[in-house]
Amino acid sequence: MSFRKRNIGLSTGVDRASALNSTAQPQQAAAAPETNPGIRPSPDDGRPTTSTGSRSLDNLLAGHGGLPIGKTLLIEENGTTDFAGALLRYYAAEGVVQDQKVHVVGMPEQWGRSLPGLIGPADTADEKPAKRKGERMKIAWRYERLGEFGAGVAGSRAPVATTGDQASPAANGDQAQQPAFCHAFDLTKRLTHPSIANIHYIPLARTNEPLLISIHKRLQAAIAQSPPNTVHRIIIPSLLNPTLYSPEASQPETILPFLHSLKALMSAPSARVTAMITMPLSLFPRSSGLVRWVELLNDGVIELCPFPHSADALATSGAATAGEEPPQGVLKTHRLPVLHERGGGSDQNVGQDWAFTLSRRKFEIKPFSLPPAEGDKEAQEGAGPGGMPKKADLEF
Amino acid sequence: MPTQPPLPPLLAPYVSSLPHSSLTVLSSVLGATGNWLVLRFLYAALSSSSNSETAFGLNGSDGVKNRRVVLVSFLRGWEFWRSEAKRLGLDLARLTDKRQFAFIDGLSELFYNTTTATATPQQLFPGTAAPRTVLPVRSQPSPVPARTPHPVPRPGNVSTNPASREIGPVKRLHLSGNGTAALDALERDIATVIQQLKASTPGEAEEPEVLLIVDQPDLLLAATGPNKGIGATEMGDWVMGLQQNTHATILTLSSDSPLIHNASASAPHPATPLETEHAAFAIGSAHRAQMVMQLRNLETGAARDVSGVLRVSKGGAWGQNEVGTEGNWEEREVLYFVQRDGGVSVFGRGE
Amino acid sequence: MAPNLSHRQTHNLLLISKLLSLRDTASPLTLLLDSLEQPATPLVKEYIRRAKISKVHVTLIAFETLKPLDGVDAFVSARRKSPSQIVKEVGAAYQATAAKASSPRRLILIDSINPLLLSKTNDAHSQLSTFLSSFLIPPSPSAPKVEVSLVVTFHQDVPSPPAQSPYSPSSLSMLIYLATTIIRLHSFSHILAQKAARDRSLAAPVFGLEEEQDGVLLGRLDKPIGKDSTEGIVLEMEHRRKSGRGVLEWYILPPASQYSPQHLKEVVTLLDDHPLYRPPEEPEAGAGEEEPESTFELRLTDRQRREREGVVLPYFDAQQGDGPGEGGRILYDMGEEDDFDEEEDEI
Repeated sequence: MSFRKRNIGLSTGVDRASALNSTAQPQQAAAAPETNPGIRPSPDDGRPTTSTGSRSLDNLLAGHGGLPIGKTLLIEENGTTDFAGALLRYYAAEGVVQDQKVHVVGMPEQWGRSLPGLIGPADTADEKPAKRKGERMKIAWRYERLGEFGAGVAGSRAPVATTGDQASPAANGDQAQQPAFCHAFDLTKRLTHPSIANIHYIPLARTNEPLLISIHKRLQAAIAQSPPNTVHRIIIPSLLNPTLYSPEASQPETILPFLHSLKALMSAPSARVTAMITMPLSLFPRSSGLVRWVELLNDGVIELCPFPHSADALATSGAATAGEEPPQGVLKTHRLPVLHERGGGSDQNVGQDWAFTLSRRKFEIKPFSLPPAEGDKEAQEGAGPGGMPKKADLEF
Repeated sequence: MPTQPPLPPLLAPYVSSLPHSSLTVLSSVLGATGNWLVLRFLYAALSSSSNSETAFGLNGSDGVKNRRVVLVSFLRGWEFWRSEAKRLGLDLARLTDKRQFAFIDGLSELFYNTTTATATPQQLFPGTAAPRTVLPVRSQPSPVPARTPHPVPRPGNVSTNPASREIGPVKRLHLSGNGTAALDALERDIATVIQQLKASTPGEAEEPEVLLIVDQPDLLLAATGPNKGIGATEMGDWVMGLQQNTHATILTLSSDSPLIHNASASAPHPATPLETEHAAFAIGSAHRAQMVMQLRNLETGAARDVSGVLRVSKGGAWGQNEVGTEGNWEEREVLYFVQRDGGVSVFGRGE
Repeated sequence: MAPNLSHRQTHNLLLISKLLSLRDTASPLTLLLDSLEQPATPLVKEYIRRAKISKVHVTLIAFETLKPLDGVDAFVSARRKSPSQIVKEVGAAYQATAAKASSPRRLILIDSINPLLLSKTNDAHSQLSTFLSSFLIPPSPSAPKVEVSLVVTFHQDVPSPPAQSPYSPSSLSMLIYLATTIIRLHSFSHILAQKAARDRSLAAPVFGLEEEQDGVLLGRLDKPIGKDSTEGIVLEMEHRRKSGRGVLEWYILPPASQYSPQHLKEVVTLLDDHPLYRPPEEPEAGAGEEEPESTFELRLTDRQRREREGVVLPYFDAQQGDGPGEGGRILYDMGEEDDFDEEEDEI
């Protein structure tokens, strides 16, 4: 591994990014060319970002190709499934692999032992370019342009490359020498990494202090004591879940100051922290004012609506092509970091419906489309990559 | 889409002339935040003094007033406002040096800091308002730290002594205690900053007009609530107290459906105190406001070239006082689009 | 029946005139129920204007107003004050300002009662009736007799706190019960839109908060000002006479810009007399007056009924089986721009 080489790549990225946008915050851009593979300047405005451990999710985050430092992401989940928990594990595992300091609130150490095993950098684990090309034939023609999305900003190694299809092969070539920004993990394996022991667990133990205040103090102390350039990840699984948190935690005067202070902690200029929080929506519905305030205090809000388990028919027919895995649910983005803070809009990913698929190796987010009529698969597969299906193809 | 000036022409009449002792409410929702509009208010008030040839909407006739702005933000820190204002060409650090602008930080240490966190358990007894944490006297900011309000990253941010925590021009608010006593303390802190800003130019005969922008004070209400003796009435009184010190006041509030409509009489479920108080504060503020600017998402779903809808309406207090400039605007609904570079275009439907 | 209508007109116009001008203490406690869609500000200003003309002493108790309105003699800020403090200050302010005029009549305005009801510190809910009546009862029997009219504004859209006991009445019901006159305010343009929808048997539109749309607090937008100006506010008045009889009437108050501040004649008219609400070319509109009076026009006029009966619906035509349109087919003449397709089209 050559850090130096990575260094060069990064600094050119910074130059380009700041040339694109001269108003990028200077100090954050200045901090970027460190030898820290887990941090990369955003292609959008040069602010440092870090990976969520899931390339698909990284790409969703408003063109930054990752979660910007200092931002929180709230993942809400309907029903009793635990897709959000899988995202949290990816996020934690990525932090461990990148030697970032991971703080886990309210989970025992077993949680850390169940992190998914490392496969390798996300790019190599992904389909080979040739395979991609073959698959593209199957994608309905109207989604073909969305290939850009799949291999978008996070997929290309150089942050400045925007069109993934051209950049990927070149980037894949020297990939082996550069440490990756995002890794792929296998949910069926267990992560073994030297720094896994460094995970900081904050138990929800009763102290004489109110619960959330003591959590905040421990987080604050841990961040203050670590070396200056440490990157932190805060993981709060299943916030307010009554089996973990006491009932008074869900009082607005308890939870909202905690989240506000967390926001303050993270936006401190000296801190380099990201956080991911999950919340069960079946216990705390989005229609309640409290949940709305929790959302307002987070920088990104994503809602997962899994399909019912039994709906096999819907699930299989929901696949865009026969070769793909059926989507397991719908993902809604209610707010994206940075973008919505500025006022929203102007993102290619805004306004799309997303479907997600959790497989053994990855959490994939794709545009969601209503399933085509049954028995129409041949027609779809016959559709050429660039043109409308011919009349002959449609006739049986 | 053609690029528009920092202050789009359609927006100019609404943000550049606010009547005396008026209240303007700016409501936003989760997916359509109002920070860009707050920045436009800042721009309208502050850019003219440094750049007098800027077209200044309808206010161009009565000359360039001596304007100052105090921004109190409860959800976003100094770094955010500074960098976003820079995209508009406003150097807030420099304006702070020139004593035309002051930022009050309601984010960093509002609820927990090392001193209040330890004091919290004894505050749980209601009624006894704990003595407010003694704050260091705000020192005259010397130009050098003011330009770089955040010096080198310090690992021991929390353990440094309180004096060094006062970074440059930024005043940090601390909430301690219960009920009106806690709010009064905040009010005093903010009023002190306003007075300092007013008094900073002894040479000028005319007292400067101070515009106060309070960004999301509803957080304060949501995060304290009736259990701590703070409700919509107390918040309304607090805002009135602040208004007495200023020329005009702008409040930004959340008007998301769960926070407003759950408390209405037709709602199927009884509302939680948080929802009732929030709705009462937001709607009550709209009753007190001359102008209500409402931001919301496009009803037809997100679009690539539209960020949201802005509706400007006359509030409950419109027409209360016969002021000539008050009648200069009419109600309107427009679309807006926040571009990647921070520029905003405002246009009518179908334009 | 015309005589009945004109009778109603005279009586009810006289009544509103008396109420707004505070004559004969017709209503000691008036409750104004407003909303963001139609704030009470114009009506409050009208009260003050009339009080000035007839030299009535005006006190404004300000729960949410920062600056005194024009024409107010005594301004009492109620910010952070308990009800008893307010009563004391109002008394003091009256003593200080009324000495020179010593008017026998007083108008006390409360700009919004909601903050008092929502207050956490004052147990205002239980004190409400005491608080309000303390203004109406003279401080001491020896004091000179002063006729006091109290006008209280209540914002209907501001949610009320839950009653302290589930068995006690809500504060709004309490206020409505206490008040001798209740005036609900509506925006004229909304009333017209609702009437237009009702006339076509459509669901009446709702505005502002009632739309329950995310992010919408106010639905009102300026209508173009012109000949058909829909400015003005609609007053839905409910008055309890001293005899106990109730009167219900709808009025319209034109915008203040349409008359001079010194205007003495009555400006308020019945809503039914407004040309936009009930177009004047319907002389028989008042027919069928024997039914219980309603402010809503639910019936069809004779002309509307005649015209409705005259409409020939398409299926009648089709059933006759002769002439054009036989069998319900669409007859269509080809134009030169039409592209005739033998497989699909037929004539």
